[in-house]
Amino acid sequence: MTFFEEQLEQGIFQICYCGNCNDTIWPPNEICHTCNNKTNWKKSANFGKILEFSKKESLYFGLIEIDEGIRVLGEITSKSIPEVGQSVRMSVSFDSKPHYSFIVENN
Amino acid sequence: MSRVAIVGTGQTKFSKEDDDVEKLLFESANRCIQSTNNCDSKDIEGVLVSTNNNSKYLGAILSETMGIQPKISHSIEHLCSSGTNAIISAYAYISSGLSDMILVSGAESATNPGQVLEWDKSRGTLDHPIYWGSLLTKSHKRKFQTTEEELAIVSAKNHKQAMDNPFAYSNEPRTISEVMNSKQITDDLRILDCSRSCSGSSSILLASEEKAKTFSDQPIWIAGIGQKTTSASFTKNILEEIESTRIAADSAYKMAKIESKNIHVAEVHDAFSVCELMAISELGITSNEKSGEFVRNLFNTENRMINPRGGLIGAGHPLGATGISQTIEITNQLQGKSDKRQITNAKTGLIHNMSAAGTSSSIMVLQN
Ligand SMILES: [Zn+2]
Repeated sequence: MTFFEEQLEQGIFQICYCGNCNDTIWPPNEICHTCNNKTNWKKSANFGKILEFSKKESLYFGLIEIDEGIRVLGEITSKSIPEVGQSVRMSVSFDSKPHYSFIVENN
Repeated sequence: MSRVAIVGTGQTKFSKEDDDVEKLLFESANRCIQSTNNCDSKDIEGVLVSTNNNSKYLGAILSETMGIQPKISHSIEHLCSSGTNAIISAYAYISSGLSDMILVSGAESATNPGQVLEWDKSRGTLDHPIYWGSLLTKSHKRKFQTTEEELAIVSAKNHKQAMDNPFAYSNEPRTISEVMNSKQITDDLRILDCSRSCSGSSSILLASEEKAKTFSDQPIWIAGIGQKTTSASFTKNILEEIESTRIAADSAYKMAKIESKNIHVAEVHDAFSVCELMAISELGITSNEKSGEFVRNLFNTENRMINPRGGLIGAGHPLGATGISQTIEITNQLQGKSDKRQITNAKTGLIHNMSAAGTSSSIMVLQN
């Protein structure tokens, strides 16, 4: 397992970034693709926004951009129909694959 | 630089049965050789195999099965657009003078592992193509007011056109209402909006200008090529665009010295219904806002200009073979050999093949 995956397993989404370029590296990589320096990690604040969503059976899912600029696909929990641009809080886990899920804030 | 022509084609019927990829490759390659004027397999200098199958060393295996010892043989994998990538590689070998005759064979078995791109961690557990297919569809509806009926027309049209394609896996007609009432996969996708994995193989023989006229009375020329990869991760896409297609089309048109209005017939990569609408817009054939209306008009007037063989939705999608079958369809159209599917007086045709939610696209312009 990679460091990123081990951290997901503990519920932490680690952002890989280059301190030299002040840029996020996604998918995570040990080396920055711009300057070739070693990259660093910081914990995500776990907030994001819905870019688009759909629904499979009773489960909403969508494309989310988290505040650090990374986009992922994940499940969305919401009491009402989600909306594009809505703020969501992320929780993560890992079980052979990364698992990203989101709860719509303030509803 | 030598011009490069298509001088032979061969296909197997696409099917839902699981079949041996080596056997499928041999079958379509054999038919391809037989379609030429007296080409002997000994004339072939290169064998390229396009597949997502995990079998190893297929270029050499196909060569040995055919009883030949080519200079060049290897496999090419690029997910759903492996087929056109293999053809373009063969083009490069021939135009550079490294080879005069190359056989390109693509095949997939129904249980191929190519549907899911495990590397793309940004998809999380939602790694099946239906998730990005749903989001592209939802976004198209939102941005361009595309209706469910317009999306269903893409599938109804392509199923109808596939009825006249003897190699299609489905020869069943589907009405617009059958598509709209077919099994719901997600809120934005019905089962008949999806292309389906299947078994199948197709082969094409490419030759230099010098050899082309020996082996074919109607060589079809590769006049333009454009390719672009923007990323491997779906989540980096702008949902309502296929940037790679737009860039690749621009290169292909420049190389062929044509504009989109000069295209008489096109095979486009309809992995899902919405992909056909997006593709014909990015190719400059229509606009996103008018794409639904454009396809409705084709359907109502029985104009087969887009996806005459039924596209991926109607004909099936054996990943490694798809781009080659698209190219065979346009070749046959330009030779006037498409029977009931024939577009009258087609002189310039286009193939659009893409991978992984349009993160890469390959486009070819053919002329007779
Ligand atoms: Zn850097």
